[in-house]
Amino acid sequence: MNIHTYERLWIVGAMVLIVGFIATITYGSVGLGITMIDDEEETLAPDEIGEDERFADPRVEQVGEDEYAAYVVAQTFVFQPDPIEIPADSEVTFYVTSRDVIHSFTVVGTNTNTMVIPGEVATMTVEFDEPGEYGVICNEYCGAGHHDMEGELTVVEAEEFDLTDLAVDAPDEVEPGEEVELTATVENGLLEEVETTLTVEIGEETIEEEVVVEGGTSEEITTSVDADDLGEGDHDWTVEVDDESDGGTVTVGTDDGGDES
Amino acid sequence: MSELFVEKYPEQARLIRLAFTASFIALGVGAVFGLLQALHRTDILRIVESPTYYTLLTGHGVFLVVTFTIFFLVGLYQWAVTDSLDRGPVDPRVTWTWYGLMSAGTIITAVTILAGFLGDPPEVLGSELSADVLFTFYAPLQANPLFYVGLVVFVVGTWLAGADWFRTWLAWSRDNPDERIPLPTFMVLTTMIMWYISSIGVAIAILAFILPWSLALTESLNPTLTRTLFWYFGHAFVYFWLLPAYLLWYIVLPKLSGGRLFSDPLARVVFILFVLLSTPVGIHHQYLDPGISEGFKFIAMTNTMFLLLPSLLTAFTVVASMEHGARQRGGEGTFNWLRALPWRDPAFTGMALAGIVFAFGGFTGIVNAGMNINYLVHNSVWIPGHIHTQVGTAVALTLMAGSYWLVPQLTGNRLVNRQAGLVQVVLWFLGIVFMTNSMYRAGLFGVPRRTAEPEYSFEYDIGVGSMAELNVQLALGGTLLFVSAMLFLGIMLLTAFNDDTEPLVDGTIPPALSGPEDSPPVLDNLRLWIAIALVLVVIAYIIPLASIVDRGGLFGPDIGPFPVFVQITDAIPTVFYSLGALIA
Ligand code: HEM
Ligand SMILES: [Cu+2]
Ligand SMILES: [Cu+2]
Repeated sequence: MNIHTYERLWIVGAMVLIVGFIATITYGSVGLGITMIDDEEETLAPDEIGEDERFADPRVEQVGEDEYAAYVVAQTFVFQPDPIEIPADSEVTFYVTSRDVIHSFTVVGTNTNTMVIPGEVATMTVEFDEPGEYGVICNEYCGAGHHDMEGELTVVEAEEFDLTDLAVDAPDEVEPGEEVELTATVENGLLEEVETTLTVEIGEETIEEEVVVEGGTSEEITTSVDADDLGEGDHDWTVEVDDESDGGTVTVGTDDGGDES
Repeated sequence: MSELFVEKYPEQARLIRLAFTASFIALGVGAVFGLLQALHRTDILRIVESPTYYTLLTGHGVFLVVTFTIFFLVGLYQWAVTDSLDRGPVDPRVTWTWYGLMSAGTIITAVTILAGFLGDPPEVLGSELSADVLFTFYAPLQANPLFYVGLVVFVVGTWLAGADWFRTWLAWSRDNPDERIPLPTFMVLTTMIMWYISSIGVAIAILAFILPWSLALTESLNPTLTRTLFWYFGHAFVYFWLLPAYLLWYIVLPKLSGGRLFSDPLARVVFILFVLLSTPVGIHHQYLDPGISEGFKFIAMTNTMFLLLPSLLTAFTVVASMEHGARQRGGEGTFNWLRALPWRDPAFTGMALAGIVFAFGGFTGIVNAGMNINYLVHNSVWIPGHIHTQVGTAVALTLMAGSYWLVPQLTGNRLVNRQAGLVQVVLWFLGIVFMTNSMYRAGLFGVPRRTAEPEYSFEYDIGVGSMAELNVQLALGGTLLFVSAMLFLGIMLLTAFNDDTEPLVDGTIPPALSGPEDSPPVLDNLRLWIAIALVLVVIAYIIPLASIVDRGGLFGPDIGPFPVFVQITDAIPTVFYSLGALIA
């Protein structure tokens, strides 16, 4: 074949360029270890999400020292959980699946971006150095409300990050002369133990208790107050630990104010 | 001056005119929708409710990248085959049949899309007549079955068109046993081989899975599988848009520059490379898909990079041919020859500007193809930026410019107002610069594509400039493009009725400087290239497809349908639901 000299040079140059691109990208993925969305995870039918221990309760979980897993479900037109809270400077692996159509899980302004296909579980491991609030959007058209599909990713300082959960058991009504007993269950989702303060406010009283909860366990803390100290009538109470809080009202004596329900 | 095409082949000219008419109607409607989208996204003017934006976007995608481009393609290819083989089809009834199929398919699909604008679309075939699924129709989004039926009928029409051209060529080669395939026909045949190999994928996706499922004959499908079959077809699909533009750059542009094509053999090599490489790259659209392993993505990336080669070769040949033309016209110097080019000719200038935009868009394509950096831009508005530089300009502007040269030969009428044509192509160029500058930059800051309202509760971190400025550029660019499209359609319409004139064009295509005799005959061995292409396709796809079916099953892990009707009444509860969920 009769090829002009300049053309030959051009072809050689083009091939060098192409091979150069391939080499750069290969270095990027093999040398620097930038991983791609892959087919590691088993498939998961959308109607089995409810029985899947990862996704039945979408959440963030600690899985190792400075290692976390975030289980996220996308569906028209929300992400669960929302907001998603993760610590900075830790390895966070997102597992994302869809309950209905194809969505994406995209942290705006970063390369944390994956398609979310029903039947598949997308995984990606990322590390955020900067604490802050990031927008999470779906960037794959998923129906009429697609543009409303938005969530939030909050990256907090590693030291301030907790996975504490609080549940409080409190009576609705107490006879005068008895004790008002509040039982707080503080669950620590982290692997390390946490030391924190539980604050109970009831009526005019404030009680603070130091609690230590082993990693992956929960502690029950019971505080009690004399109903007589509170006096007859309705009293609001709140229990707070870390960022969690719970509250309610307890009535001392029979409430003839009316509300019988 | 040679005999005019319309005088020599009146029936062919009529068919091509009708194909162009369909193409231009689609361009007109698509441009109106495009303008509305540009104004809606930027919140400058929202004349439809946001859920209806997706009806517009579906129409914009389908009418422009299916109807406009492919109807133009079949018209142009009919011209190329007829003109270069110097004969008509074996049986004109076949020709009219494929035209009829393509038109019928288009009408069926268009009706399903446009019915989405009705407040209360009628029920047809068991579901609402609506198809807000965008041109990629990713299941489990579901359109009315007729949407898919129309697409199938349309594609079958294109298959028949290809068969028709092959038949014409076979008849020609019986009469001319020792001759090389003329270059334009070679381009047509290779394009169609690529199209057959690739469109099988989308045909299977629709016929085996999506259509039966939309008719409730099957209950479930595997969305990863249908999506992969779509993209098996998808990248060759983009080359199907591009190759008619390539044909014009290789065959017509050198002539318009006043010279001859630099090298016929390399043009053949380029088209063969497209046949071989266009399909085994489709997974590069799925870099972010779960369910496909990294290795397959890697293979697709490597193949994609090699696909740069034919385009780089084209850049060389086109520029070299233009330089040759300019020197024939008396141009001199290292760069001064550029001035000797016929810049007053809208056909030439349009194609040259399209080529410049294509070169730029090619670099953005390399970014998309890079597996890692793709994570940053995937599904951001950077992608429509890339789409509009490539198919929206490199192709669309070349086709419009080509029309200035071709339509007079098809009608026997003189092109009305060349100056207006020149203004038109320059306006398009300016419009695309503004619009894509905005899209590329906004995409880098994370602004998503395919959304009616890109404003969220967070602020984008715009490095340079501001969101307002980006919006103004998008709207301004979109408006210029719209005006340019209307001007083009106006010129075409007036030319069609410009009866009592003689065209000023000369339709003869001069032979290449280095002709086919300089190349080995193996280049024309189409069977060989088909065989190699099939082997490459099998290597690139058989394992990924098998693995997808193995993982998720042929009919998927129980995926129910999700019909999309854009009805405001439907959308309100979902919006409230999502608001509620956000608050809770
Ligand atoms: C009149 C000039 C045009 C204007 C103002 C325009 C405007 C737009 C806008 C604003 C979008 C982004 C929509 C979004 O992602 O939310 C878009 C998407 C698109 N445009 Fe255009 N466009 C024009 C012409 C064209 C042409 C000539 C073509 C191709 C031949 C084209 C092909 C596309 C495609 C394929 C998409 C992506 C559709 C999708 O995401 O499903 N456009 N256009
Ligand atoms: Cu979405
Ligand atoms: Cu592609």
